[in-house]
Amino acid sequence: MVQLIVTPETALADEPICIRATGLNPFQVVTFTASLTDEKGKLFQSRAFYKANEAGNVDLDQAAALGGDYVGVHPMGLFWSLKPVNPFRRLLKQDVMNSPFYIQLDIFDSLLLEDSPKIHPKASQMIERWFSGPGLQRIPVRNGRVRGAFFLPPGEGPFPGVIDLFGGIGGLIEFRASLLASHGFGVLALAYFAYEDLPRSLLEVDLEYFEEAANMLLHHPQIQRSGIGVISVCKGAEIGLAMAIHLEQVAATICINGTNAVHETPCKYRDLVISPIPHQKEYTQIHVSGALNFRRIKGDPRDEVNQQSVLPVEKARGHILFIVGEKDECLNSKAYAEQAMEQLKSHGRSNGTLLSYPGAGHLIEPPYSPLCFASWNPFLSRPFLWGGDIRSHAAAQEHSWREIQKFLRCHLAPSRSKL
Amino acid sequence: MAQIIVHPKTALVDVPLQIRVTGLLPSQLIMLQASLTDERGELFQSQVFYKADENGEVDLEHAGALGGDYVGIHPMGLFWSMKPKKMLSRLLKRDVINSPFLVHLSVYDITKPFSSSPDSLMASETVERWYSTPGVQRIQLKEGRVRGALFLPPGDGPFPGVIDLFGGIGGLVEFRASLLASHGFATLALAYFAYDDLPKNLDVIDIEYFEEAADILLRHPKVLGPSIGIVSVSRGAQIGMAMATFLKQVAATVCINGVFLAEQIVIKYRNEKFFSFSQHLERLRINELGLLAFYSALGNPQEEANKHGLLPVERAEGHILFIVGEKDYSVNSKIHAEQVMEQLRRHGKNNATLLSYPGAGHLIEPPYSPLCVASMNPFIPRPVLWGGETIPHAEAQEHSWKEILKFLRHHLTPTSISKL
Repeated sequence: MVQLIVTPETALADEPICIRATGLNPFQVVTFTASLTDEKGKLFQSRAFYKANEAGNVDLDQAAALGGDYVGVHPMGLFWSLKPVNPFRRLLKQDVMNSPFYIQLDIFDSLLLEDSPKIHPKASQMIERWFSGPGLQRIPVRNGRVRGAFFLPPGEGPFPGVIDLFGGIGGLIEFRASLLASHGFGVLALAYFAYEDLPRSLLEVDLEYFEEAANMLLHHPQIQRSGIGVISVCKGAEIGLAMAIHLEQVAATICINGTNAVHETPCKYRDLVISPIPHQKEYTQIHVSGALNFRRIKGDPRDEVNQQSVLPVEKARGHILFIVGEKDECLNSKAYAEQAMEQLKSHGRSNGTLLSYPGAGHLIEPPYSPLCFASWNPFLSRPFLWGGDIRSHAAAQEHSWREIQKFLRCHLAPSRSKL
Repeated sequence: MAQIIVHPKTALVDVPLQIRVTGLLPSQLIMLQASLTDERGELFQSQVFYKADENGEVDLEHAGALGGDYVGIHPMGLFWSMKPKKMLSRLLKRDVINSPFLVHLSVYDITKPFSSSPDSLMASETVERWYSTPGVQRIQLKEGRVRGALFLPPGDGPFPGVIDLFGGIGGLVEFRASLLASHGFATLALAYFAYDDLPKNLDVIDIEYFEEAADILLRHPKVLGPSIGIVSVSRGAQIGMAMATFLKQVAATVCINGVFLAEQIVIKYRNEKFFSFSQHLERLRINELGLLAFYSALGNPQEEANKHGLLPVERAEGHILFIVGEKDYSVNSKIHAEQVMEQLRRHGKNNATLLSYPGAGHLIEPPYSPLCVASMNPFIPRPVLWGGETIPHAEAQEHSWKEILKFLRHHLTPTSISKL
């Protein structure tokens, strides 16, 4: 009798699981599939073809997939290779507290390219992937101008405080904040436009708004006083870098696939106004899939005419971790991070680290998140290209998530109250 | 006032055009758009950004596109970079005699890229792209078992005869045959399954059917004998190679991206049968957009298991031209062509040439055809990835078409035929 054994059946979304099938015929070709329906009712699926060993078992920790959505030994491959049935949809958990993603794992005793009502799996298992750990608290934030959601781990604390910033799609994205909080950080998922009564579109970045948020976090009774961290991606990372430079409250900043200069929107802090490098949309490229590639529309920060927009990263007091996907098709994040590192070096600073991942795309997320290669964007009529090679991207997500937590623990430890 | 000047406005689809935009401001940024609605009502479009020179002109012969569907200097880029609005649609002209594709070229002011609002339209022009020259005749063929359409060049002839074979989509695809006829070849677009009363599925390749077709073609009063040529792609190229192997009437065979052994299908001719069962469907790959790549699932011609499927290609008396796209994701076209070249060499024959194009995909078609990187195949449940990178694929189409015409002329004209 065919059995599908999955442990654990319920886990945090960034935890690996063990998947094994037993009771098959020796050397039989089988199909493993994973299916998930997101909160909007959209179906995501993955499949891989394996050959059972002579005992009629397949253990995904050891067996190599022969084909399908990935090849080789990848115990979590079914998760990070999930694809939307309708292309260009992005998998993004909205409710991070009250419900998990339910994923159905199936095993079929034949090669199955596509679901068929006539063909039933030999065994199935439903598993739960949660974006919040037990005892985690979510507190909506409407404090002064600040809008977002604050995630507090169980216990007394105090916990290291972190602000989590996403990018140009706006709104409030919470899943990374809730996951990070489940690892012992007090995390504020901070919205800055297209959310509640915040401006509809991002016309300027006012660092005083982010300072208000930083102070609010620092003054929370269960948050450490010694300085906060920032984790940020894309446009959020441009803002994160500006925060690292101008706000003394910031002790550790993670910039994922961001820029080293102010682009498109002016950035201001008190009486300082940094004018942006304008986007040049005539350099947009169209990928074979029809998706828009914006990688070349941002001007070069090394151009003389753009110098006033370059962020003075050497002024940052805390530590900065640059995380770069070399196959980022949204922006040339490798060049920007390298320029920032070079700028630190030329000023005798050594507070920057660069982790560059070949094959990773723009949307580097917590481990086992499916690669979103391109997706619909509310502001554009065509899909938007993010880039990335599936396997390398998955490996980059696993590695960088560990590094992110290590970095935050190291630089936000209470003893480091040198600020 | 802005103008688009295009020449010629009416032409065969494989003829390049001169496109110039005048009457702009110096250094003005514009968007050039080409759109076409096919016979099913599907929209295909390309959009490209240019900067006018100091005279307010954009001459596509010299100006480099800054962005959009291609970058760089590509005078015909607007045509081969067109993409379907509905993903996975393939551009395929069905009526090749009575109507052209109408391509609308428009210039837009670029304040809002990708939103072609009527107020930003500055000039437009329409061109006709034909798949046959005036005077090309189309004759429906239904003789014996043979089904297809014969395209005769204008004039009395006689003309060298060519059989044109397409691949696994079945039915009858005529656009390349009508183009070949426009270049002076009497071309039979030959169907072999899923057409008229032919079998619905391709279960066996019976070369005697194709021999019947070759004989019918050679018997036609306007066809110059004693031999014919073949232009074939994909599954058609597998058949073309078998025809070249077994049929003395074949003097010149063009095989584009084929598999040249009888893998998973019986190839038979009279009392000879070839077959090998070496398929590894478990090696099928699904790419980041959910498209199916077959190339690793098909067997390698050097595998022991495929020994009995190899065709005795050394028996081919005519010449063979292999055209290979190195970014073909549906078949590993390069190793299959190289295996045949090697087999011929081992038998002391040197009647074959291989043209291998880096960056080209599976569907290498006549010049300026848009790259179809993936499409639905009626017999496969998921979209099939054909592969190809837009610019190298376009260049491969341009180069290979010239080589194909040269090859056919060289081997099918009276002086060269008498050398056989």
